[in-house]
Amino acid sequence: MTFKIAWRNVWRNYGRSLVVIGSFVVGIWALLFGTGFMNGFMVSYSANIIENDISNIQIHNPEFKKDLDIKYPLNNGHEKALETRQWEGVKALTTRSIVTGMIASPQKANGVQIRGIEIDNEALVTNLDSLISEGKYFNGEKRNTIIIGSKMAENLKVKVRSKVVLTFNNIDGDITAGAFRVIGIVKSSSLNINQLYAYVKQNDLNKLLGIGDEIHEIAIVTKPQVDESSIIDKYNLNFDGDLAESWREISPELAFMEEMYGSMLYVLMAIIMTALIFGIVNTMLMAVLERTRELGVLMAVGMNRGRIYLMIMLETIYLGLVGAPLGLLVGWLSILYYQNTGVDLTNYSEGLEAFGYSSILYPYVDSDTYMIITIGVIITAIIGALYPAWKATRLNPVEAIHTI
Amino acid sequence: MEVIKVEDLVKTYSDNEIKVHAVQHIDLSVQEGEFTAIVGPSGCGKTTLLNILGGIDKPTSGKVLIGGAEITGLNDRKLIDFRLNNIGYVFQAYNLIPVLTAYENTEFIMLLQKWPKEKRESRAIELLEKVGLKDKMNNRPGKLSGGQQQRVAVARALASKPKFVLADEPTANLDSSATSQLLDIMYQLNQEENITFVFATHDQRVMDRAKRIIKLDDGKIIEDIKVG
Repeated sequence: MTFKIAWRNVWRNYGRSLVVIGSFVVGIWALLFGTGFMNGFMVSYSANIIENDISNIQIHNPEFKKDLDIKYPLNNGHEKALETRQWEGVKALTTRSIVTGMIASPQKANGVQIRGIEIDNEALVTNLDSLISEGKYFNGEKRNTIIIGSKMAENLKVKVRSKVVLTFNNIDGDITAGAFRVIGIVKSSSLNINQLYAYVKQNDLNKLLGIGDEIHEIAIVTKPQVDESSIIDKYNLNFDGDLAESWREISPELAFMEEMYGSMLYVLMAIIMTALIFGIVNTMLMAVLERTRELGVLMAVGMNRGRIYLMIMLETIYLGLVGAPLGLLVGWLSILYYQNTGVDLTNYSEGLEAFGYSSILYPYVDSDTYMIITIGVIITAIIGALYPAWKATRLNPVEAIHTI
Repeated sequence: MEVIKVEDLVKTYSDNEIKVHAVQHIDLSVQEGEFTAIVGPSGCGKTTLLNILGGIDKPTSGKVLIGGAEITGLNDRKLIDFRLNNIGYVFQAYNLIPVLTAYENTEFIMLLQKWPKEKRESRAIELLEKVGLKDKMNNRPGKLSGGQQQRVAVARALASKPKFVLADEPTANLDSSATSQLLDIMYQLNQEENITFVFATHDQRVMDRAKRIIKLDDGKIIEDIKVG
């Protein structure tokens, strides 16, 4: 009975109920889309960094990691790489020799991290070939070719086919220089790739460094859903004394950001829910005060305060129960739509790319979030109903009946 | 059998230090099956007296006994239960629940009293038949005329067989044909089911049908006459 009256009361004032339902819908949609958007940001950001730059796992000589001193290569690096590549869960693997130095064009000079790469494996691990925006990727024939980032090219005022000179210390500590021809320029949302790295073939670099076929780094991309730590554990078990790290350790700020974005959902939820609560309290209070006489009559004829309280609570919860699925549906549909088309932020992309974001975002929301939001909305409806329902039970039937 | 007994009842409202003596030292007894009108000019204390008899309002002093049990000391929760189980109300402004149909309004009190479904159904239909609204039982109050709504209100008040029915100006909003129809119905139910009716009214048409008239002025009983 109380349930029936409450349900019908919801539909007494269509306009007002629709406003409340509408605010549920908009609130939930905003929450879903906001979360999806943030997730999209995060995923594009971390995916770019992991896929194009740091990979899932990196292995170094622990001494090398301290200040990139080339005297500390990964012992038997190629053998280890060969074996590790066969392991289950490893999607792709590449080796690099690395040295920091100077890159100079006729106009300018810049600091640089020179990465001697295996051209085919590098393409598998970091998709470097797909980032080429001008020129082309290495093809193995010519010696002393180099690929640099777009920002660096801009700084040095060089183009494809320009010559640059790399200067660094070789293994004996002597300053060595080599002339390289730019064959490709890469563009990415990663700052490192755009302005810090320069890619050369491993043979070319190692010759100048005088380190034979030694390497400094192994980078591994894992298969989807593979836990990095399982491979790291296996590596440590097989090879002693190296430092194997997952992206979380290599880039703790990335891991931190991911956590931050996760908690942003709750911040966003708290803000929207708070606004919703005020709307609900306002509307339901209006609904109670408008029906003062009716509630007085219900009390006069013997409906006890508990039932009155329950009735007002139910009215609010019903509004939420109607609004929540609608909001979830609208939110889900708009995320579904943008998941495929992406949200184009090209107009703002200059600013975004400076922070390492890409300009087209693909929002996504996991199923947990839908659950959390549903529960949050129900709690909101209940909290919003508490005061109006209490207020209704405080009415004095004598006065209430004589209120017109 | 004595349904209502009132002893030395006083109700004083104080508003901004001005004291209003709405009811002053009233003693009253109502027997089962009476059809009684409390009459008097506006502000004489009719409604206040009725509200106290119905346990909606509390007296400043004095005693009210319903069916021999004192209700004056009951707390709010017990008063609500008391009202639910003992009293039927008919209000001036009908005051049906707008979202329920005539049938559901009639059934409402029985539902609160947790009657079984079949009993509710037969009683509600029986009463709606008696007030002549069986064919309108699925209409909501908005679709009924004032007289029809008040008849549903009477059906609601009587449905759970209360000890007595309090009717506060039940005819004030009705035209004369609706009024006489309503009074016929109430009188008939009073006779058939031996239900006690107490009206507060200043409608001559109600007084003409009443079997006992209690005249109130300035919160005191100034006349108490039995008719017929």
